[in-house]
Amino acid sequence: MNKQTKVWLVLSIALSLLVLATACGGGGTNKEATPGTTASDAGTAPPSGPTGTISGVISYNGTPPAPKKIDTTADPVCGQKSPNLSTDDTLVKDGKLANTFVYIKDGTVDGGKKISEYNWPTPTESVKLDQNGCHYAPHVLGIMVNQKISITNSDATQHNIHPTPKLNPEWNQTQSNGAPPIEKTFGRAEVLIPVKCNQHPWMKAYIGVLKHPLYAVSAADGTFTIPKVPPGKYTIVAWREGQQPEEATMEVTVTANGTAKADFAFPKAGAATSSTKPSLQMMPAIEFPMMGKH
Amino acid sequence: MNRGLNRFAIFVACATFFLIIAGALVTSNDAGLATPDWPLSNGQVFPKMVGNLFWEHGHRMVATTVGILTIVLMFYILFKEKRSWVKKLGVFALLAVVAQGLLGGLTVKLMLPLAVSSAHATLAQLFFCTTVSLAVFTSRSWIEARPLTEEKGNLPLRYICTGALVTIFLQLILGATLRHSATWDRHLPVELILAHIGGAVAVTLMLGSASLSILRRHPESRFLTRPAIIALALLVIQLGLGIAAYMTRLASPNDPQPLNPMISITVAHVACGALVFVTTIVLTLRTYRVLPASETFLQDYRMGQDLHVNPE
Repeated sequence: MNKQTKVWLVLSIALSLLVLATACGGGGTNKEATPGTTASDAGTAPPSGPTGTISGVISYNGTPPAPKKIDTTADPVCGQKSPNLSTDDTLVKDGKLANTFVYIKDGTVDGGKKISEYNWPTPTESVKLDQNGCHYAPHVLGIMVNQKISITNSDATQHNIHPTPKLNPEWNQTQSNGAPPIEKTFGRAEVLIPVKCNQHPWMKAYIGVLKHPLYAVSAADGTFTIPKVPPGKYTIVAWREGQQPEEATMEVTVTANGTAKADFAFPKAGAATSSTKPSLQMMPAIEFPMMGKH
Repeated sequence: MNRGLNRFAIFVACATFFLIIAGALVTSNDAGLATPDWPLSNGQVFPKMVGNLFWEHGHRMVATTVGILTIVLMFYILFKEKRSWVKKLGVFALLAVVAQGLLGGLTVKLMLPLAVSSAHATLAQLFFCTTVSLAVFTSRSWIEARPLTEEKGNLPLRYICTGALVTIFLQLILGATLRHSATWDRHLPVELILAHIGGAVAVTLMLGSASLSILRRHPESRFLTRPAIIALALLVIQLGLGIAAYMTRLASPNDPQPLNPMISITVAHVACGALVFVTTIVLTLRTYRVLPASETFLQDYRMGQDLHVNPE
């Protein structure tokens, strides 16, 4: 055996072993999230005492883009169950926008501590994400760091759930019909993690992972409520998917037993959509911050 | 010359071209992770091929077939071929297809890292190049080719063609990296697009000058002019497909799913790129076969070397 043959042989064996080790390890699909901060970690417990609420309405300016029809025929099960499936990135009803993720990004609780310095206990109940009609329900959801997300498959076909986070470990797992729920956690705060199904590429969902429970997703009528907010001054962010995701921020002051109003409107000024002219279209005034009553 | 061996080598090369198309369809449909496991698909040898699993598992089935064909080709060559270097190339083809399969598994298990996916796409082109070369070396036209008496230019055609070949290969690597840098629902990185456009200009210049030089210097030799004309025609088609692929890919992030014409045009662009590459390989190999290195060029080169060593 000459030297060249030996080199090729060693390279081939090395590559084979690498692939086999990866294949047998199964590490790519079932990685557990890196543990993050939990309630048991050293830190300050959330402030007790009276809390307030942040509520508001998400409006949509102009004519929303028409939903696009999804071709589900690639999988007969999807074709039969959801023959008229269409995109839901901009769900607007009477000028109000659903599926907007609103959360407290930063701020200071009355008393001087930053909101990020508190450790909220991880909820024991899991958040549900279902695959039904080759469509994720809900489309946008929020969970806390290390809270369980329970993913179910209500379709008579296989799906694969594939979150593509930037800060948390990526995983990709197949779930056939009748398989037990897949339960996962995310160990780091990350807003928002896209989730897709590579078998049905139109299937998309977004998960907002936060260290605190101070978030909400706007309902079909565009309303949202974030309850049990400690009194303080906060920066809140509203994120909406759209054809091009966009964010809006606002400063609010929450008082004990009061309700701070935080209305948002999309698209933001200057943002062009397929249905609005690219010329600047001014956004109606945002109401903020309205002080809650004592 | 064994006609059966040559026909089988051509068949394997055609199967490899089909495999490249199957692989391109996986990328364009965003089906690479339709199943997270490998070598089985969802734990099965023959899963229900619905949705994107059709493309991913279909690609695996075609790849397995090509792998088996390559094994057969290698043994065919080992038993029927007398030239030892052709035998070595047959063994190399088998090693390349095995490495390609392992790279395919690795990219699935690692969830499509850019480097591994691009390497998988690039090795695919190199493997195609190998099978086409085997088809060329076992052909009657290669074995019976008579060397032309002289080069009709200062810069030997073999070097011009080699330059074009290297440029095309670098462009293929850029194209593979560009394609795998973002899925259909995300915009492609501008710097890679610009690099790929720059590569297209370089390929046009290099391949254009190689083909036109052949047509000008050796218009009587069909052995050389035929691949040169085909390469030129494919280059023109490829440039058109590249522009069309770019336009459709620009719009795809707003689509609800990967759709035609983006899928068909980008796949055609990949396939045509592979054809440009192998046609240039045929062209280059043929220049090496029938054209000597220019004596004038070699003399100049030697003189330059002497001057470099002995400046006085």
